Formats: sequence, structure tokens, C-alpha cells
Amino acid sequence: MKINTKLVTFLSLMLVVGLVITGCGSDNKQSASNSSDDKTKVNIFQFKVEVKDELEAAAEKYMAENPSVEIKIQTVGGGDDYGAALRSKFASGNEPAVFNVGGPQDVADWQDKLADLSDESWVDLAYTGVLDGVTFDDKVYGMPFNQEGYGFIYNKSLFEKAGIDAESIKSYASLKAAVKKLDKQKKKLGLKAVFAFPAKETWVTGLHLSNTALANEFGNVLKAYNAEEVDFEYGDALKKLIDLQANYAYKPDGKKGSLNAVDYSTQVEELFSLEQVAIIQQGNWAYGSIAGIDKEVAQNTGFLPMPVVGAKEDSIPVGIPMYWTVNKNKNEEVKDAAKDFLSWLYTSEEGKKIVINDFGFIPALKGYKGEDLEPNNPLAKDVLKYSNQDRTMPWVFMGYPSGWGMNVLGTNIQSYLAGDMTWDQLIKDSQKEWAKDRK
Amino acid sequence: MRNNKLIFWAFVGPSLLAFTLVVLIPLLIGIYYSFTNWNGIAANVSFVGLDNYIEMFTDETFLESFWFTTKFTIASVISINIIGFSLALLVTRGLKISNFLRTIFFMPNLIGGLILGFIWQFIFTKGFAALGEMTGQSWLLGWLSNQETGFWGLLILMSWQMSGYVMVIYVAGIQNIPEELIEAAKIDGANAWDRVWHIVFPLIRPAFTASLFLTLSNSFKLFDQNLSLTSGGPARSTEMLALNIYNTAFKFRNMGVAQAKAVIFLIVVGLVTLSQVYFTKKGEVEM
Repeated sequence: MKINTKLVTFLSLMLVVGLVITGCGSDNKQSASNSSDDKTKVNIFQFKVEVKDELEAAAEKYMAENPSVEIKIQTVGGGDDYGAALRSKFASGNEPAVFNVGGPQDVADWQDKLADLSDESWVDLAYTGVLDGVTFDDKVYGMPFNQEGYGFIYNKSLFEKAGIDAESIKSYASLKAAVKKLDKQKKKLGLKAVFAFPAKETWVTGLHLSNTALANEFGNVLKAYNAEEVDFEYGDALKKLIDLQANYAYKPDGKKGSLNAVDYSTQVEELFSLEQVAIIQQGNWAYGSIAGIDKEVAQNTGFLPMPVVGAKEDSIPVGIPMYWTVNKNKNEEVKDAAKDFLSWLYTSEEGKKIVINDFGFIPALKGYKGEDLEPNNPLAKDVLKYSNQDRTMPWVFMGYPSGWGMNVLGTNIQSYLAGDMTWDQLIKDSQKEWAKDRK
Repeated sequence: MRNNKLIFWAFVGPSLLAFTLVVLIPLLIGIYYSFTNWNGIAANVSFVGLDNYIEMFTDETFLESFWFTTKFTIASVISINIIGFSLALLVTRGLKISNFLRTIFFMPNLIGGLILGFIWQFIFTKGFAALGEMTGQSWLLGWLSNQETGFWGLLILMSWQMSGYVMVIYVAGIQNIPEELIEAAKIDGANAWDRVWHIVFPLIRPAFTASLFLTLSNSFKLFDQNLSLTSGGPARSTEMLALNIYNTAFKFRNMGVAQAKAVIFLIVVGLVTLSQVYFTKKGEVEM
């Protein structure tokens, strides 16, 4: 008996220990057996879910050309989720070689991890201003993903039926006149309302919409990032844009407060794609969502400017959503391979085709010329058109204090719509929170 | 003796190890971080004393979400237990479809909270709206666009999900009551209500203790349903404590303040649930 119990105890302990060890170890073993040790391993942790498969295919192509490199791509989508996931990645010691940052705040947060990319060949190809958000002390820390633009997306055929010339809308007054004209013909055009205004999505209101006023106040993202206070110099213009959308928007229960339940999918996929509204404030990324519901509607879209009264009235905000960065703490071999892959992707002939045709990106680097390197959807084309006509304003919302845009200003706009806050209170509270964070 | 000890540790050891690794150590690290200004990325952490705790109590959103969480917890504990108990009575009456009903009532509990949140979000914003437009009932329109409907939405969702679970606990309690007692009461002329009130209630006190504990702590700590149904909106008015802590940590990047909030949260949840267990246990009767 005595020996037996001892044996049982011993065996069960061994079993437990064995389980723990194999449980932890199996992962390493597998990855080790899959690849030979002389390959340079580059782990990429990126956030663009939309191009996950295409990016993996591009990596396969690169690996075929460079057999000594092995690239592994992991994708976690969405702004906030990506940030949290990236933190846990680093905290666990499993640091990726390539990851993404959004702007000055991220660069400051991750400073200790970012490799200097100033000597890369693509730096000179960047359009003016696109590297502002990731340049500190004359050192470039990030490579732009792509350009994106947003504005008032309108339905061209509805505008035609209503007899409105979209090209002539270049000011707040003409925009308002067009909206009123559409509103009068709602029945004839089969519209529920002119706008769909998704106040639930605080990134649409708190980041994108507010950016129109604040871009004109600050001028560029670094100035916003360094600003101790926000004046809302063009606050009235912002109020006009909010009120115009809210007043002529589809409201689920007829009251303005119910706009707080309208989300992206209701706005884009339901109301706009089914031609129940004529104008929405969104960006060129919405093309995929609209085309998923109705290809014809998607082909019939374009951008109207977002007029900021007292400042630029004929422009749309165009900016860089995210940047590629290389982890400084990896060894030289890995860093070189990572940099080489990124340059290959954005500057080689083959890479350019992938970026334009497979990713559907609007490039942020010069040198994309030729017929097969044109953006293939009307919204992207329109963004390029505004860019070439110099009718753009920068994105500065990456320079807002952390969480301020969505969770302070965006939620304050919700309170304003619900009538729980006056416009003055909204401005004061938002200013107070900004200053508090920058103290 | 020595053998017994070995066996004791062989059984306790693994779970103790796991408990230490995933609960105790993170807890201690968390308490440490609540005294620092850490931003979530391990660089330049410095000690700030009680600053985070002071900032927390001046944070209006925290106090508001504390109040909202309290209101929600009271309402959901009452509604979940009443519904769960009624369902338990229904399925222990010896109906032919009892087993089928039990499965159905328990089913919502098998679906993850996040998914349920999205399903109910669709029901509230689209389903209710369609019904409202058809029938002209305006109270069905614009759900989840203000605190009131957000609150009721969360309550309906939680009651729907948790009732089946506590029903199972009550069913177990009710089935443990000896038939003779009920029969004797019947013969003595007690009606259905008397039987429930004077016999079933006192005899299932242990089930009450368990159900109240589960619903109380679950409602207080609610996170996934809150995140997916309203994500705290509009204007952070339906943000419960766990979500408030998450937002402080990952949206405002104030890991230190978030940890301070979490420490207070832990103490409150502990105090409330332990005192509840203490008081309900005191009133239990032994057969």
C-alpha cells in the first residue's frame, strides 16, 4: 500500500508537470520544425483587416524572390483593439519586428521601440506633409500605409434627378441650398431624409467631423499634438456642419436624440446603399461596404467638400490612417529584411501593382504612374482629384489627446444632440478636458 | 501522515499554482501599478503615491457609472431571480414538456455575452423599430439612443440570459423538498400560494444564497454584454464599472488610474457579495 500511494502521487505529479511543460513548449517546437534556422524571420503585426489576405499573398511573392527571409503576418483589426493587442504582444515578450502606429501620440508612446527610417529610399518620394506625424527631431519613424480621404459622399444619380449640379457646390451656402432643394423633393426621390448622421459612431463625429474645424485651427498634426489648449476658432463652422446634418438627417423616432443610435452600418449599408438618403459623411473606405450592397450605387458616388465657414470651404480632409514601423530592438538582419520588404512593397514595380490593384490603396508616395496604376473606384479617384487640385486639409485628429476625440468630444456631441448640453457647454467641457490632459 | 500531505499537495498544488499565476500575482502587480503613472507600455514608470486614487474620486464618469451599475444590479438581481424562480416552479409541476422547457429556458446561457449583445442590439434598434413603425407605437422607436432605453435594454438582455441559469439552481432546490411535506400541507388545506410561501421558500434558502450571489456578482461585473449592446453610449451614460475601467486603461491610456479603480472595484464587489452570503446564510434552515 505504502509504495502504491507513493507511486500514484509521483506519477500524478509527473503527469501534471509534464502537461504544463508540453503545454507551454509545443508551440515553439512546431514553429522550429517548420522552418530551417538560417532563415531571417520577420514577424509583422498589422491592423488593416481589409487587406489581410492580399498582404499575405504579397508576402508570399516576396518570399519567393527572397528565399532567405520568412515573413509571418498577424492581423488584429480596429484602432483601439489593435492598440491593446499590440501592448499585450510587447508585454508578453513576443515582440513583432514590424508594427503600426497612428501618429505623434503613438510615436511618443513607443519611442523606445522605433527604428530610425530616415535613410530609406522612399522617404524622398513621400508627398508633402504625409510624414509630419512621424517625424521627430528630423528623424522619420514611420512609413505611410496609404492616403485616405473623407467628405460628404453623395449619390450622383439622385443629385441629377433633383437638378443639382454637384460641381458647383464649393461653399457652405451652396451646400445648404442643395440640401434644402433635396429636402423639398424627398417624396419624389423616394428619400427618407437627405443625410444619415451616425452620432453613435463617435469616430465619425468626434474625430472626422471635428477635424474639419481643428485642422484649420492647428494647420498640421504636430501642432495639434503640441497644443496645450484648443480654442475652437472655427467652432461656429463646426456647429453649422453638425446642425445641418442633424436637422436634415433620418431620425429613428423623429427626435434628434435618437441619432445617437444610428451606427455605421445603418448609415452606409442600409440608408445610403438602399438610396434612402442622398448624402453621408464618410471616407473612401466606405466604397467596399456600398458595393457589397449595390454595385451600381457604389459606382455613382463622389465627394462633396466639407465647407468650414471662415476657412477652407472647398476642401476635403485627406490624411494617413496608419504608419508602418520597424522594431529597433531586433537584430540588424531582421531589421534590414523588414525595411527591404516594406520598400519592395511600395516602390518596386510588382509591389506598386499590388498596392493599387489588390489593396485598392491611394498611394502616399510619388512615382505611381501608368495606366494600370490608377485607383479603381470612384471615391478613391475623387480623393486623388481633390489632392491634385490642392483642395485638401490635413488630418489632425491623431494629434488629439488620447481618447479625447471619441470619448470626450464625440460623447459631448451626443449630449448636445440629445439636448442635455448646450453648444457653449460642449465647447467649454471639451476645452477643459483637452487642457487637463496636456497639463 | 507524510503520504496524506503528499496527496494533498498533488491535488491542491496544480490549481494553487494556476490560481497564483493568473489571479494572485496579477492582483499584486495591479495593486502596485495603481500607485504609479504607468501608461500601459513599459517605459518610464514612476511612483505617484495616492494621486491615482484622488483623481479617481474626482472623475465624474466613474461616480456616474458607479451609480448606474448599482441601479442596474438591484434591478437585474430582482428581475432575474423572480423570473428564474417562476420558471423553476413552472418546470417542476410535472408537465409532459418539462424537460423540453428546461432546455429551452437554459439555452440563452450557452450563447456568449458578446454575441448576445449584438443580437439584441439588432432586435432593439431594427426589430423594435420595424414593429413600432407598423403599429404606430412610438415608444418602440429610437431604442438604445438614450440612457433610459439603454438601461432597459441591458436589463432585458441580462434577464433573458441569466434567468435560465438560476432556474436550474432553483429546480435542484425544489426537487430536494420531500414530497411528504407538500402532501401534508395539502391535506391540511394549504393553497398553492401558502405552500410556496411557507414550505418551498424556507426550504430552498440555500438555493437563494447561491442564486443571489451569482446574479449579484455577475451583474456588478458585467462587461461583454455592456460592451456589445451599447458600448457605454450614448454619451457614456450606460457605461458600467468594468467598461469604465477598460476605457480608462485602453482609450484614455491611464493604466494607473484604471488600476486604482479596479482595486476599489474589487473591494466593493467583495464586500457586497460576502456580506450578502453572510446574511442569507444566517437565515437558512436545516431540515
